Amino acid sequence: MTRFSRWLFEPAPLSRVALLRIAVYAFVVVDVLALHTSGWYHGFADPVWYQPLQAGRLLGLPAASVLLVEVLKWGSVGAALVAMTGRLPRATGWAVALTWSWYQYVAFSYGKVDHDRGDFVVALLLLPTVGIAHLRDDRRSQAAGFALRAVQLGAIATYLLSGVAKLRFGGPGWVNSATLLRAVVRRGSPVGEVFAQVPFVLHAMQWVLMVAELTSWVIFFLPERWRRLMVLAWYLFHAVTYATITIAFWPHLVMLLAFLPLERYRDRVVARWRARRVQATAT
Amino acid sequence: MVIGGRQLTTRPAAPADDELGVRSRAWRVVVLAALTAVFVAGSVVGQDDWWPFSPWRMFSTSQAPTGAVIAMGLEVQTATAPTWVTAPVTPETVGLNRAEVEGRSGRIAADPWLLATLAAAHTRLQPSAPAWTAVRLVRHETVVVDRRPTGVVRNTEIARWAPP
Repeated sequence: MTRFSRWLFEPAPLSRVALLRIAVYAFVVVDVLALHTSGWYHGFADPVWYQPLQAGRLLGLPAASVLLVEVLKWGSVGAALVAMTGRLPRATGWAVALTWSWYQYVAFSYGKVDHDRGDFVVALLLLPTVGIAHLRDDRRSQAAGFALRAVQLGAIATYLLSGVAKLRFGGPGWVNSATLLRAVVRRGSPVGEVFAQVPFVLHAMQWVLMVAELTSWVIFFLPERWRRLMVLAWYLFHAVTYATITIAFWPHLVMLLAFLPLERYRDRVVARWRARRVQATAT
Repeated sequence: MVIGGRQLTTRPAAPADDELGVRSRAWRVVVLAALTAVFVAGSVVGQDDWWPFSPWRMFSTSQAPTGAVIAMGLEVQTATAPTWVTAPVTPETVGLNRAEVEGRSGRIAADPWLLATLAAAHTRLQPSAPAWTAVRLVRHETVVVDRRPTGVVRNTEIARWAPP
């Protein structure tokens, strides 16, 4: 095997995939029922507003109807709930991939495409390829390692490609524009109001963001400890973004979990909880 | 590599308990390469309608430091309140969100009847709320000078619909 192949298929514990799957499919349930519901409402909009995307033109997808959005909504929730149990991981996983992606398509084919959800399709497509993965199965598998690596690559690609999009649509002058101020004015929040009064901060943030995005791929060349710090830094960035303009790239935040040794965190939490219980019964 | 006396390099990978065969690895590489190709193509030449491979263009446009930030809004009248009041443009109220209406403002200006479909969707979604008897699309321009909002907001009516 070449070095690249060894890196791409670096074995990882199956239990890590099992935990990530729970996070991913639990997110699907929350997302469909509470976070991103505009697709459902499009079932009620007049078909005159339907603007098919390329995928819809290619596959001949119709405008939304109330029946269609109900089927996609409850289909993705049902499949995700079964997938969370770890049973039939391929059938349920790909059923979620199909229904969730179509539901997003319905949300995005009425004139506005959100730019933060494409990468989640990678997670939904590739996590089922691992097959059965039990929560207590710490055997290291190449299939698990590949799926995790692919999710990591998808998550980091969104940063790099966001930087590319800024250069493409905003030009190199983007860093000196007032784009973040525009976002704050349009989507104000108490924290955003504060930033709006200190133009220097938003201006500096644009430089930091551009540099961070264009160098995001460095994460794959860092030692493990630094890699986790960088993931933490991205989570902090997203928290600040949410406080300022109330936008969070939820599916992406779930994908970043693929960088973390989830099974070890779980073991630590369980051990601490058990120790506390033993202590409580002893006293 | 040793930084601050701590060993930072990752340990050499432990052997896999479950190895993939050559073919299993090959198709995975092909799928990943194909995904990479469409995502990169989407970012370099694609547009929004390439979703899920569309460019990641959130906040990617350049806003001039001095100018106006534009946002559109709906104002409506009901039988009980015949004065213009602002109505939220959300999926819950009209089946569409603000950006979806903003993106079609040119079409709405040319064909104000489109505002009637919003009133109809509002009735379907909120049957117990008072029906809208007139709808207008208003453009709000927040004046910004040197990255700072001046407090001046200019409002312009773009289109108006009322039943004949």
